[in-house]
Amino acid sequence: MIDLRRPSLVRRLVMLAAVWNVAVLLVAGVFLTAQFRDAAIRRFDQSLAVLTDDLYALSTVEEGQVRAPVLTDIRATRVYSGRYWTIFDKTQAGSLKVIERSRSLFDSDLMVSSEQVDRLVAAPGKTLFFEMRGPQDKPLRAAAILTQLPGHTNPVVFIAAEDRSPIDADAARFGRITALALLLLGGGLILAVVVQVRVGLAPLFQLRREVASVRRGKAERLVRVYPEELEPLAVELNALLAHNQEVVERQRTHVGNLAHALKTPLSVMLTEASQQPGSLAEVVTRQADVMREQVDHHLRRARAAARSQTSGERTPVEPILDELAVTLERIFQDKSDGRGIEIDWRCPEDLCFQGERQDLMELAGNVMENAGKWCRSKIRAVASPTTAERWTLVVDDDGPGLPPERWVDALKRGQRMDEHTPGSGLGLSIVDELARAYGGSVTLGESPLGGLRVCLDLPRSET
Amino acid sequence: MRILLVEDDPDLSRQLKLALADAGYAVDHAPDGEEAQFLGETEPYDAVILDLGLPKVDGVSVLERWRRGNVATPVLILTARAAWSDKVAGFDAGADDYLAKPFHTEELLARLRALLRRSAGHAAPSLSCGALRLDPRAARASVNGEPLRLTSLEYRLLHYMIMHQGRVIGRTELVEHLYDQDFDRDSNTIEVFIGRLRKKLGSDRIETVRGLGYRLTALEGEATE
Repeated sequence: MIDLRRPSLVRRLVMLAAVWNVAVLLVAGVFLTAQFRDAAIRRFDQSLAVLTDDLYALSTVEEGQVRAPVLTDIRATRVYSGRYWTIFDKTQAGSLKVIERSRSLFDSDLMVSSEQVDRLVAAPGKTLFFEMRGPQDKPLRAAAILTQLPGHTNPVVFIAAEDRSPIDADAARFGRITALALLLLGGGLILAVVVQVRVGLAPLFQLRREVASVRRGKAERLVRVYPEELEPLAVELNALLAHNQEVVERQRTHVGNLAHALKTPLSVMLTEASQQPGSLAEVVTRQADVMREQVDHHLRRARAAARSQTSGERTPVEPILDELAVTLERIFQDKSDGRGIEIDWRCPEDLCFQGERQDLMELAGNVMENAGKWCRSKIRAVASPTTAERWTLVVDDDGPGLPPERWVDALKRGQRMDEHTPGSGLGLSIVDELARAYGGSVTLGESPLGGLRVCLDLPRSET
Repeated sequence: MRILLVEDDPDLSRQLKLALADAGYAVDHAPDGEEAQFLGETEPYDAVILDLGLPKVDGVSVLERWRRGNVATPVLILTARAAWSDKVAGFDAGADDYLAKPFHTEELLARLRALLRRSAGHAAPSLSCGALRLDPRAARASVNGEPLRLTSLEYRLLHYMIMHQGRVIGRTELVEHLYDQDFDRDSNTIEVFIGRLRKKLGSDRIETVRGLGYRLTALEGEATE
């Protein structure tokens, strides 16, 4: 759902453009329709003026009586054709008396209001135009001229009128077409603006997607080329990322240095204690062992914590398993009466872990080492993709296995699974922590080989 | 037994010298990488205990130089860096065992004994096919003297193929010699292992004979013994 109360750049730009568009188109529509109507009326008026001029010019006065000319316009002879004329006598009293009228008027008269008469009197000899109602109550447009005819005492008024509904209809039709055209144009413009804004702001959306992919650890930094306006932001973001990574890396190094620096003094204490037996030596040995476990634990915690700052690294799994298998077979070469152990591993060549090489080594190394400690002679490690974004490493051994009620404990920190097996007993709890830092998990189960099965679920990087 | 102890911490060096002498070893001590490299190259030691964090030249470099100079003395690495990537790097450089600090002296002595026992095995005739050489005693293989990093299954497969070099070996036969039990007789298995061996040996040494199996041969121009 789009939250309309939240400011949106796209909405703001589109709204601005829409308001401007609507205003401009409205004004244009009104102006165009008015222009069309004016032009139509001017043409109409001209033809009416010609008719009055003809009436005026061709009328004759015989014995004080005005005689209308014989006009060729057929429309003026047909009843209610819509084209009419009348010649009035302006009497002394101020009213108009019909002298002669077109046949088309039949039984009605053109009704000239007194106000219109006053205007005619005020401007004699000039053609004036009026609106009036005609026969059948049709709206008429009329041209009238008040003039003196030689031989006639009273002023004579010539009026030609025509039904104006055709031009009104034309104007209305034009108005409708214009409105429709402008509506379409307006809609098109707004659509164009939407597209323009979307396309124009595309780099911004791209930037958001890329930042998201950095956060999810799919990329290490922003690598795309951004427009001039966004480039500084991208550069700043990259600088911030680099700075963050540097801080994390530095802290990791500090913790590492501290932990490693403590190890040689601890060795000295342990060795010294073993060479001078006594109660002091016992305490020192015990405490030095605790310190070693603490140092190891926190060293690995520091590594795991640094993982929450995911970088976009990808590590091919196959070479890691190969190296670990070779190394572990060396480490355990004295096992099972000097025959050593056998690590059978499988992995698709193109499988990649989404994360650092060192961490994958630590994860797989600890799980496989744990299997190595427990197995009689065989370890099986199978890496396989499960989905587009996950893969699993399943490590089986042929050792005595672990009863299900101890599976949960085995993943807890500080649980030594076997006090007699040399080395740190923290292996699996460290794997659990590190796997969690990668959004993965460790689960234990029964192995078909007879021993323990450890499943590691980890993020996968697609090629 | 003569041991070279390479350790820069004076206290730890003193203690270890004492412990090793008590256990009956003759101990030479080198406090830095340069001296260690010189001693390792010139004196015939039975084993070396090598700390990795050393002044002047670090332990891994010293070990690599020894191995390049064909110094085959077994080496036990001693280091504060116990991450798996460090261990793998140590073994890659040619270490024979690895012990993380802090450690108990007894464990160091036990590892040292095991190391010496392994290296004291009887010499066995090595097998070869062209520039490929197998040392069945140490279960190591090399091409032109460059050691190959093989897992035991890969080694076993190569061992069987070198014993029957020049002959076409069927897939079933190979699977039977790879696994002692009825364990994964998937036909794909052999292809996976042959693929890995080719990657490590060079692709031309193992020939696929369509429908029949595989054949290990020396490369053209290589002398066969």
